[in-house]
Amino acid sequence: MNGGVGSVCLRVAGIALLAFCVADAGSAQTRRFERHFTVQGKPVITIQNATGRIQVKAWDRQEVSITGQRGSGNVEVDTEQVGNRIDIATRVSSANANPDTLRADYDISVPMESELQVRSDSGNVTVDSVHGDMSFDTVAANLSLQDVEGYLMVKSIGGSTTCTRCAGRLEATSISGNFQLLQPTMDNVHVQTSSGNILFDGSFMNRGIYVLKNYSGTIEVRFSTNDSFDVRATSLYGNVINQAPVVPDRHNMPAPRNSYAKSLFGTMNDGRAKVELSSFNGTIKISKRE
Amino acid sequence: MSPSPCEQFERMLEEQPDGPLSAGATRHLESCGKCNALWIDLEAIRGAGAEWGSAEVEPPQYLWASLRRQLESEGLIRERPAKAGWLWVWFGAAPRWTVAAASVSLLVIAAFLAGYQHAGSKSATILPLHLSTSTASPRLIAADLGKTLDGDVKRVFDSLPESNPALANSLRENLGIIDDMIADCEKSVREEPDDTMARDYLYGAYEQKAVLLATATDRSASEGQ
Repeated sequence: MNGGVGSVCLRVAGIALLAFCVADAGSAQTRRFERHFTVQGKPVITIQNATGRIQVKAWDRQEVSITGQRGSGNVEVDTEQVGNRIDIATRVSSANANPDTLRADYDISVPMESELQVRSDSGNVTVDSVHGDMSFDTVAANLSLQDVEGYLMVKSIGGSTTCTRCAGRLEATSISGNFQLLQPTMDNVHVQTSSGNILFDGSFMNRGIYVLKNYSGTIEVRFSTNDSFDVRATSLYGNVINQAPVVPDRHNMPAPRNSYAKSLFGTMNDGRAKVELSSFNGTIKISKRE
Repeated sequence: MSPSPCEQFERMLEEQPDGPLSAGATRHLESCGKCNALWIDLEAIRGAGAEWGSAEVEPPQYLWASLRRQLESEGLIRERPAKAGWLWVWFGAAPRWTVAAASVSLLVIAAFLAGYQHAGSKSATILPLHLSTSTASPRLIAADLGKTLDGDVKRVFDSLPESNPALANSLRENLGIIDDMIADCEKSVREEPDDTMARDYLYGAYEQKAVLLATATDRSASEGQ
């Protein structure tokens, strides 16, 4: 008899578990989304997502594919094609919901020569192998770019940016975000952050202009012995640490008037690139690449 | 659906920025705290602008150019329409938060002027004559304007969407960073008035504060919809 009751209980529990799993899978299924758009040439893709992950990668099809998952039914994903422009936006339909449920995660595949405009508040943004101009407007979202090429504009408030093997031109500003430029092949770089760190680990291109500026934190540039650049580094109340065998500056640049300022003006090899580093009270390091 | 009294009031401000208030608008002001606050802000800015003009205090030309470029790029100002007053030139057909954002940009100028004033006599040789010889008036204007605009800053931050705490936390945290930076830079400029680099950092700090507040304004408007 007891065995019979136990068996019934087990069956009921099993059915309940199965029903829960089916319901959950069904719910997850309904929260998934997938859209496809055929495009030509160099499409423009705009993405607005307040919270959640955005992953964009290039592929060899003339098509934009958008897949992802909504955190709940309280967010909707709107997509629209206008000619060669694809607009993607996450819309909150019930602002009173739990913040954790208002996210949307995107996996987007685009033609290699696409132009991107991304706006995100929190959540990571990753772009891989896209060769087109792109702009990013973020608040707390971190940005990771790999093998991208074009005119890159980054405006962040607190999010950090890592750019690996990026080519082209970069203009980036942040308040507390860090910037890491690893193996860049860029000939025009302007990076400014207030309390973040800046790392430039790559070659300075001939005729390139590199302006790196922060308020506090560390600015570090790493050079190889073949690099050719003029350097002007000033930290008003911080320090400048130099390992580069520079010769005295040939251009007679005036030194800062502030008596506390640490500065270095000099030329390495033929001085083909121009490197300007400045900090208010941070440390500037010009280090030899190992 | 007919527009609400508040919408009618804002439209009236846009269409007749320099005109006298109608009887209906005056009645509405008495009963609506929000529009009353907006009117007080605009009056303060208008008054400050007039005093600036009378004191012949002008910021450097490049500052105006930079400010104008920033406002244009953010779509906050546009070409002057025919027969429009000075308010239109700055704010265009502006909703409340756009006014706040533009006000913050004015704060940049005010603070910059205040910074020049703090620099005192030691910096007189490197300042334009009409600026270096002005007295306490601009400093008071800057202080008053700063107080008025601080109210707008608070309102912008209060209106950030509760559904995204990470956004609000990041903006608040970074506002604190910028304010600390401004305090340090102001101290440095006071100690070394001839230091152009310190002044550049101070100007840059105010510019970043304006960018941060424009971002907060943008997010509060777009996500609160």
